[in-house]
This record gives sequence, C-alpha cells and structure tokens, in this order.
Amino acid sequence: MTGAATLRRDPAVALTVAVLWLVLALFVAFPMATLLARIFFDKGAFSADGFLAVLTDRHQIRAFWNSMLLGVLVGVGGTLLGFMFAFTAARARLSRGLLTVVDAAVLLPLVSPPFTTAIAIIFSFGPRGLITYELLGLKGVTAYGLTSTLFSEILTFFPIAYLTLRPLLAGIDSNIEGMAQSLGASRWRVFRTVTLPLCVPGLANAFLLLFAASLADFATPLILAGNQFPVLPTQAFLQITGLFDLRGGAALSLVLLVPAMAVFLLQRYWVSRRFYVTVTGKGAGQAPHDSVSPRARAALLAACAFVAVAIIYFYALLLYASLVVALGANHTFTLAHYRVIFTEGLRVIGDTLIIAAFAMPLGGLYGVLLGYLVTRKSFPGRRTMEMTSMVNYALPGTIVGIAYLIAFNEPPIELAGTALLIIACYVFRYGPTGIRATIALLQQIDRSLEEASLGLGAGSGTTFRRVTLPLILPAFFAGLGVVFIRSMTAISATIFLVSVSWTLITVKILENITELSLGPAAAYSVLVVVIVFVVIALIGLALRAFRAPGSTRVTSLLGG
Amino acid sequence: MIPARLKRAFARTFAACTFAVTSFAAHAQGTVNVYSIWPENWARPMFEEFTRATGIKVNFVRFSSGEALARVTAEKGNPRIDVLFGGPVETFAAGIAEGLFEPYKSPSFDKLPARMKHADGQWIAIADDPLVFMTNEKFLKENNLKAPASWDDLLAPAYKNMLQMADARTSGTAVTRIFSIIEVNGRNEDKAFAYMKKLRPNVQIFTKSGGGGTLPVGLGQAGGGIFFIVDALDTKAKGYDVAISFPKEGIGTSAEAIALIKGAKNPDLGRKLIDWATSPAMQNQFAKHKINFVPAHPDVALEPSLAAVLKGANIFPIDADFAGKNRKRVVDRWIAEILNP
Repeated sequence: MTGAATLRRDPAVALTVAVLWLVLALFVAFPMATLLARIFFDKGAFSADGFLAVLTDRHQIRAFWNSMLLGVLVGVGGTLLGFMFAFTAARARLSRGLLTVVDAAVLLPLVSPPFTTAIAIIFSFGPRGLITYELLGLKGVTAYGLTSTLFSEILTFFPIAYLTLRPLLAGIDSNIEGMAQSLGASRWRVFRTVTLPLCVPGLANAFLLLFAASLADFATPLILAGNQFPVLPTQAFLQITGLFDLRGGAALSLVLLVPAMAVFLLQRYWVSRRFYVTVTGKGAGQAPHDSVSPRARAALLAACAFVAVAIIYFYALLLYASLVVALGANHTFTLAHYRVIFTEGLRVIGDTLIIAAFAMPLGGLYGVLLGYLVTRKSFPGRRTMEMTSMVNYALPGTIVGIAYLIAFNEPPIELAGTALLIIACYVFRYGPTGIRATIALLQQIDRSLEEASLGLGAGSGTTFRRVTLPLILPAFFAGLGVVFIRSMTAISATIFLVSVSWTLITVKILENITELSLGPAAAYSVLVVVIVFVVIALIGLALRAFRAPGSTRVTSLLGG
Repeated sequence: MIPARLKRAFARTFAACTFAVTSFAAHAQGTVNVYSIWPENWARPMFEEFTRATGIKVNFVRFSSGEALARVTAEKGNPRIDVLFGGPVETFAAGIAEGLFEPYKSPSFDKLPARMKHADGQWIAIADDPLVFMTNEKFLKENNLKAPASWDDLLAPAYKNMLQMADARTSGTAVTRIFSIIEVNGRNEDKAFAYMKKLRPNVQIFTKSGGGGTLPVGLGQAGGGIFFIVDALDTKAKGYDVAISFPKEGIGTSAEAIALIKGAKNPDLGRKLIDWATSPAMQNQFAKHKINFVPAHPDVALEPSLAAVLKGANIFPIDADFAGKNRKRVVDRWIAEILNP
C-alpha cells in the first residue's frame, strides 16, 4: 500500500498528519525561517554582511574556538567519568542500597537548575573559598575561567554519559569476559580487548551528547567563565540583552548551528547504527562472571565515592545557603528565604508549575503520536517529518529562544508574553525525547502482534487501544518526565520568552544570583530539586503500574 | 489508525489548553505593566505602597538596565509595558534616541532641579544614586591597605585580580562608572581609557549586573569594587564586613528615572504611577524600607545615617546629554579596548 493511498483510506491518520505538519510548520519551520531572514535580509535585500561581520570579528572567532575547546574537554572528561560510574554500577557488584545512593547522587545535577553547581563552585574555590582558602590556605586563586567552567559542566553533564553507558554495559554479557579470561587473558587484557571495544559506539555517543550539551549551555559560563574565556552561547545572550543587537545575536547563534547539527547527524545516523549485540545463548539466570579484581573494585568504589561525595557536598552547601541569613557573614538559622519564595515568589512558582503542567501532557502526547505515525504508518514526507521534529531539539536553546522571540513578537502571529509561547517552546524542544523513545520501543515490537489482533477480528481502533497503546506507554511516560523536568530547569531558550505576565523560577534564580540575594536563589533551587524528585518518583510508580515488555527506565531517557 | 475516541480526547484536551492559556493571559488586565530596573527587594515594597495608596496593581519583571532597554526597543512596534521604572538616567537618554518614551510632566516636575528631569519630560528622576568604592575589611587588613581614597589607589598591585565591577554591555552602573572616569580626567577620553587599561589586570570579572560584585566582595572572594551606594549599603546592612569610601578626585552620581512608554496600553495608569513615584509620597518611604537612595524631590529629607556616609564626599552629577550622546560609542570602545584587549 503506498503512502498516499494510506492517507486516502484512513482519514483519521490523514487528519493527524495534517495537524502535526501544521504545528511543526508554525513552531519549528516558521521561527527558523524568520531567524534566517532576519540575519540575511536587510531592508528587503539579501545581505550576508552582518553574518560575515560576526564571522570575521576576532573576539567572536576566539569565543567560537573557546566553545569548541570547552565542548571537547567536557565531552572527554564527562564520558570518562560517566563510564567509570557505569562500569562500577554494572560490574563492581554493588549492594542495592549503595546503587540507590549512587543513582540519586548522579541524578541530582541532572534535575537541578543549571547554575547550582556554578554557585557552589564560587563558594568553594574562590579566593576566599571554603576549600581553597579555609581548608587549604591557598591565596590568589581565581574561581573564574576555563578550569572552573569545565569542572562545573562536567559535574552537571556527566550523568548523561552515565545514563547512556550503563544499560549498554549491563547488556554486555559478562560471561564473554569470563570466556576470554578462561582462555588465559588477564583481567586488564580482557577489559582492553573485549569490554572496551564493545563500548566504543556507546562512548562516541556519550561524547557527542556531552559536546552538544556543553555547546547549548550558557548559564554556567555566564557565571563562571569570566572575561578571559568568552564562549559563544553567552556572547549571543549578551549581544541581544546587553547591546540590543538582535541581528548580531542571531548571527552568533547561527554559527553554533553548524557544529550542533553536525554532532546531531553524526550521533543519529552513524553512531546509533554501530551498536553491537552480544548473544551467548546462555540463560540470564547464571551467576555473572567476576570481571573486576578486588583491588580494582576498591579503587573504582573509592573514585566514585569521591565524586558522589563532592556532588552531595555541593548540594548540601546549597541547602545550607538557603537556611542561613547570609552565607559567609551571618550563619544564623532562618526560614526567611523560604518565606520570601512562598510569598513574593508564589506567583513565579505558580507560573512555572502551570506552564510545566500544560507542557507535560502536550509534550508526551506529541511525542507518542509523532513517533507512532512515522514508524507504523507510511505517508508521503514521513522522513521529512521526523527530521523536522528533531530541529528544535538538536539546536542550542539560545537559537531556539531567539528565533521564537523574533518570530512571535509582532503580527501575523503575536504570541510574545503569553504562556502559550513558553509551553510551545518546551513541547517542541523536549517532546522529541518522547518521539525517540516511542520509535525505539516500536522498533522492538513486531508488527505481527498488531496483525494478529486484526486477524482475530479486532478493529484497528481496538488494536491500537488494547495492543499498541499499552506497549508504548513507557515512552509516553518518559516523554512526560523529560518535558516536565526541562520545564522546571531549562533556561537557555525560555529566558528570552518570559514577560510581565509569565515568568519562570529558573529566570528568577539567575536574577537572584546576579543580585545579592543568594538565600532566595538557593531556596528556589532546593524547591525545584524537591518538586522534580517527587514528580520523577510518581512517574516511576506509574511506569511500574503499566510495566510493559521492553519498557525503559524513565531515568535512562533523561540524558537525551 | 488513531481511534476516534483518542482523537476526540486529544482535540478536547487541546481546546481546553488553548482556552486555559488565553484566559490566564488575560489576568493582567486592569493593572499597570512595568519593567523595573531596581532589584526586586526595593521595587516590590514601593509597588506595594503604590497599590495600597491607589488601588492600582503593578505587574512587573526585573531586568538590569541594558536588558530592559533591549526589551523595550525590541518591543517598540508593539509595547508590552506602560512604564520603565528606575535605572540610571543615561539608560533613559539612550532610550530617547530610540524614540521609546512619551513625554509627561508630573505635578512634581516644576519643583525638581534641572538635572533631575528631562526638559521635555521624556523622563523624571525618582532618586539620586552616587557611586562608591566598596572594599572588604578583612582583605584590607591582610594587605595593610587603607580603604581606597583615590582612583589611583585601585591600581595598587595588592588588588591584582581582586576587583569586581559591572560589565558595560549590560549594566548602567558600569556606564556611570566609565563616564565618571572620563569626567575626572577632564573629559580627555584617551587619558580615561589609559587609566582603565591600567586597572584592567586588577579586575577579576566584569559582572552582568551592577550589584553582581557586592556579594563576592562581602564574602571576600573579591577585594573590592565600584558600586552604587544603595548596593554597597545593602551589603553592609546584611552583615558583611565592608568599607565604603570615596575618591578625592570625585565620583559620579546618576539620577534614577522613570518614564512613560510611547504607545503604552494603559497610559493613564502609567501616569498615576509616575505622579506617585516622583512625589514625596513614594520617596518618603525609602527610609522605612531601608532603601538607601538619595531622594530626588527637594522636599524629602535625607535619612541621617545616609547623610553621615555622604558627609565630605566629592560627588558630581554625570551630564545626561553628554552621556546619552556618547554612550554607544564609549561602550563600543570599552568592549574593544578594555573588555577584549
């Protein structure tokens, strides 16, 4: 049956496809086209001057290479750290309790507002830092620059590597390692020649994800990079909000588009096709082979414990800062900061929760619908639809935010200042995680299941409801979770979209940090972490209730 | 195929969402919309007093001056706010060049001295805010320094990489600072930039907002910096051990202004806010809320402890016209020569 024929025969599919194309055109294609037009058209005539001016400005070139350098270093460092954690979790035979602690510590940076580690680093490693000065007595240390930005971004983003590598390592049957060892290879040789090569695609994948995350992050460099180490996302932000140069800022963002797209395509079409599957034909119930020597196990445990303690220390500091009058000056216990956020800040919290509550179901639904259609139905432009849906997801948030700001401020489509615009931004930027999860799930499920149902006399509606829907529910919940978490913690795109009527907690935190109000900033951050943990737990419970074959843990999808 | 029931549910959810979103957007009606350049902890009590006095609600977001100006400029074709509140006068001068404001003379207009108002009423001052040097006492003691009493004191090697001040791309504080330096150098711009170049190695970081460096200085992460007196006294009031001093050559002060936005959707409510803010009705409340601005209205008395700090200080006003005309050029030069040498 050809694609066009499907649409004619199945008006429901045709209608859904048309609606999806309409929203994709409105919220993905239109803003991007407006952005490009703004950069390349000056008073109606084509002109690349503004763009070239940015490309040839030596400060911006320096910022570009700084961004690349930072991205590569974060990619390498984060992948190594993530691999270490994943390897420890998969091979070092941790007890259940210990595993939970590691998981929670690793999740913390992923679910908190992006600059929380940045503040903790300033407190700990500045010229009068708790660690550098009070503990080690060092003088003249600076908390700003490449080192601290790198450190903070690695700690913030390595969980992405951990979450993508852990299932991979768990999937490699340790009996293969056992066989190699019984053939006479040492443990180290087995690791080097068997385990590591099997992980290469996963490592490359993690590297690319981390590189992209670093490229999109403007909040950490805004606080930590200082003036010696300018990076592009921050420069683009300052160009627009500081020098009110929308064209220049848009052009700067466009420069980011090239590496971002390259990384995305590499990750999607090269790395993802090179995953190996290990099949041994042995039952899974067998005792796993012991691939780690006791000494290596101790070393791994110590290293992971060190990092986990560091993370917990940073968040404990944050909690402490939210509970004292003024960190560093007056350490009297107070609940005043929480009083502030629950009185003055109540509207912001309400705004954020309302926006997240609307974005969550819409994003989840969008992900499942689009993912289902592009995998199970054939219609013209199927591949194009999938690619288009990935655009807002692959691009750094700064670009998306700027594009939305330019496209929707004036008629014909005037949405600036409304909650709808922020919700749309979240749905189309983070909904694609749900699309990917749906596609991945459906690829594991044989069509014959659905065909059997049809053959036994059920209508296509009943088949979808009774067979397909339960199978893709985990993807739906994963989509919900990701959209919710990002709605609570993202800032790079939405900072351009807040208004007098609608503002977000993350924007408020950034404002408080740049002012003198550290206490409220810390209190808001703690609140966000708590809300997100509660919601993740609820989604986890829902997932367990709908436990279906092939369901993925919701957390393992957060990294994407 | 999508079952009809799911489809209907989807359509219904979507319709409900759009309805809810649009009705939420309408909750701003009947209030005056404001971008405040004053930080929230000062703007909020003022707006609450205003609501108490007039019954008019204030819907506001806080942006630093550069961000606020960028927003208002970007929204010129379709203004989203009625009043731009607070922020140094040179920001407003730059806004006049963009044609952002609607001239309005409030009842207090005639009482104010010439430098506290734009001749045509494009903006009116609500407060005056001198710059100060603020240093960390512990840092001074450790380095055997006295609180800096001259611009040249800041060049001392002990301050290497230990000063924090605002970034001229986003902060009005920074622009007032740069024009102060130009002024004390007899408006010889080259001399002023030569000084800033010498100062550069001592600057640890240029912060996004004017008060951004106060906390690091309070904590001793930085040794000192140049801030507006409100921010400096606020740091001290929070309990941080800092010294406040003035250079003998003099330092600039900048009026803090308010203006009506051209094309505002609620111009009458906006005018009421301006009437109130430029009168003693608001400025008499500064002391009560521990806001250390110098009142702009001559009928409002200076709070005694603030007067004590300012006693003997050499403070001069920044020429708003000169600053407004040269702002863009000077900031561009600052970016090229000082920020990214």
